[in-house]
Amino acid sequence: MKHTLHIAWKDLLFLLRSPGMMVAFLLFPIVMMLMLSYVFPNQTSQQMEGKIGVVSQDPAFSLMAKSENVIFYKSLEDLARGLMRGDVMVGVLVPQGFTKGFLTGEAKLKVIPNPKNPQMAVLMTQMIPNMMQSPSLSTGRRMDVELSGVDGGEFNYYDFTAPGLMAMIAILSVSTGLAAAITRERELGTLDGIMVAPISRGSIVVGKVLSQVARGLIQALLILGVSILFFNVQMVGSIWNVILLLILGTFSFIGIGVIVTAGMKSQETAQLMISMINFPMMFFSGVFFPVEQMPKFAHYVSKVLPLTYAADALRNVMILGAGLSEIWMDIVVLLGFAVVTSSLATVMFPRLVKD
Amino acid sequence: MKAIEVRDLKKYYREVKAVDGVTFDVEEGEFFGFLGPNGAGKSTTIRILTTLTRPTSGKAVVAGYDVVKDGKQVRSKIGLVSDKLILYDRLTVLENLLFFGRLYNMEKKTMMERAEELLTMLDLWERRNTQASKLSTGMKQKVNIARALLPRPEILFLDEPTIGLDPITTRKIRDFVKRLNEEGMTIVYTTHLLHEAETLCDRVAIINKGKIVALDTPRNLKRLFTEREVVEFELERPVEINLDCCRVLENVGNYYKVETTDLSRFVEELGKLPVKVRYIKSEEPSLEDIFVKIAGGE
Ligand SMILES: Nc1ncnc2c1ncn2[C@@H]1O[C@H](COP(=O)(O)OP(=O)(O)OP(=O)(O)O)[C@@H](O)[C@H]1O
Ligand SMILES: [Mg+2]
Repeated sequence: MKHTLHIAWKDLLFLLRSPGMMVAFLLFPIVMMLMLSYVFPNQTSQQMEGKIGVVSQDPAFSLMAKSENVIFYKSLEDLARGLMRGDVMVGVLVPQGFTKGFLTGEAKLKVIPNPKNPQMAVLMTQMIPNMMQSPSLSTGRRMDVELSGVDGGEFNYYDFTAPGLMAMIAILSVSTGLAAAITRERELGTLDGIMVAPISRGSIVVGKVLSQVARGLIQALLILGVSILFFNVQMVGSIWNVILLLILGTFSFIGIGVIVTAGMKSQETAQLMISMINFPMMFFSGVFFPVEQMPKFAHYVSKVLPLTYAADALRNVMILGAGLSEIWMDIVVLLGFAVVTSSLATVMFPRLVKD
Repeated sequence: MKAIEVRDLKKYYREVKAVDGVTFDVEEGEFFGFLGPNGAGKSTTIRILTTLTRPTSGKAVVAGYDVVKDGKQVRSKIGLVSDKLILYDRLTVLENLLFFGRLYNMEKKTMMERAEELLTMLDLWERRNTQASKLSTGMKQKVNIARALLPRPEILFLDEPTIGLDPITTRKIRDFVKRLNEEGMTIVYTTHLLHEAETLCDRVAIINKGKIVALDTPRNLKRLFTEREVVEFELERPVEINLDCCRVLENVGNYYKVETTDLSRFVEELGKLPVKVRYIKSEEPSLEDIFVKIAGGE
């Protein structure tokens, strides 16, 4: 254990010692966030699917708007749970005096997006005012429709992307990091120096794993900090749940790099293979675009990617304030991935360091 | 107890027979040399003995422990200066030593004392806080050697440690290693430089294509491989040399280089020639000649 920490610390010290890497390490998350503000689709031709969850504080509205497409919730917390479970695709908060305001043309409405697919909510905020101005209705009426989070705060696109991005950075950095760190040391020759010391091979692997997890975690938390400070991202749930999910996320994927690198003949092919896994993973796990907007096959692909579960759970925690009881399914799946990939990696590891 | 016992050791990489059945012993306190051309299997042998790679078959016992079964015990007794530098570029000289020292459970205080002692001997104590990347190749190799010596190994393996170094540094390192040996450390040293093996080693194993083709003291090796002697001489004017006791190897004008099996008879015959001999020299064959002969043929 002592050796493990010793090796982990040395790896982290390296990051500090190299100014170039340090800058990249710090800038990468920020650049990613900035880029995403351009990438995120604003216009969409999606149809509405799924049900609408409504929390009504206006009794008159509740009576009027009975429909099979509408599910009423008693409180915002209930609505949040409905969104998490996927019972409803979008939430609407109808404030007191809505019906009255509707008649006088001063109505207000809050639309609460489902973090998995905020497009739906964006669509609604655009459609409802348009409907109000259509010729069939009397003109001159206005309705304010704004996006909002469950805690009443403003909802922006970063709320959707930041959690996924955090998970992605943490996971990607370990998927390449561990194998790369080992290969680099092997090529340098320093791995021999560690291997020729009278310590167990296990503590070498675990030490390296720890430093990679720490690295991924630091970068992810950096994104969280940047998101909250500069992009107004909300953080409804507990930070500890966020950290737990990030660690689980990294562990779920930590073995991939080792498995691929050990399985491939050369380091170059391995790097290529890992990119070939990573790139589709970035897109198919709904980090940048909601999976719901993608073709059917993407849904199936997304189901086998640990990043999907990590990003999903993180969104539920950060935006809807989900607790452990609501995200345990994701946790179980991530643990499953972790157990499978780590055991495989442990079996394959000797091939990576030997000869 | 022998420091190293190796029996019919083999290491095959698919069809490449890197080490193909070598057997030898190294005595405690011996300076043992491995001499062979590129690709002979020197590094592979060292890697097996230092537990970095598993043999395909055969047995190797180092410091009393089997390299396959008791790798960890073997590792606690040995030091390695491999063909690649074992140093982190981004750590300072001292940090490098301390990092590796801790892997041997050494205490900070002991490590510091030992580091100072070694670095002072190698003229590097002043540079202890320099990042390794900023050192010259020769300095790096010295730190590398200090690194291997920090935990006071019983057996030190050096794989071509003077490769790429200038003559002065090379000399320093050789003297240093020689001194370690005189103080009692067992040394296993690989090289493809013959005079290096000749001057340093108690015994030399000549290895080629994975097999040991000769193993003896440098002196005996010479005797073993040289039933012939090479004579260089210069005559007053060029004449045709046609003696049955020698074979002409080289002839430029009045300069000759011949090979003979019987030196005294050759000198006698030479005296009978109708020209004066200006210069004659019989050279003891160096390991170099032996080496080229072995490496060239099978
Ligand atoms: N990891 C490996 N995989 C495949 N073949 C290898 C490996 N390591 C060594 N070999 C092969 O084994 C043979 C012996 O190599 P080795 O490195 O032991 O030679 P060497 O005597 O140290 O040579 P040099 O003087 O060039 O260092 C070579 O043919 C080499 O190509
Ligand atoms: Mg070699």
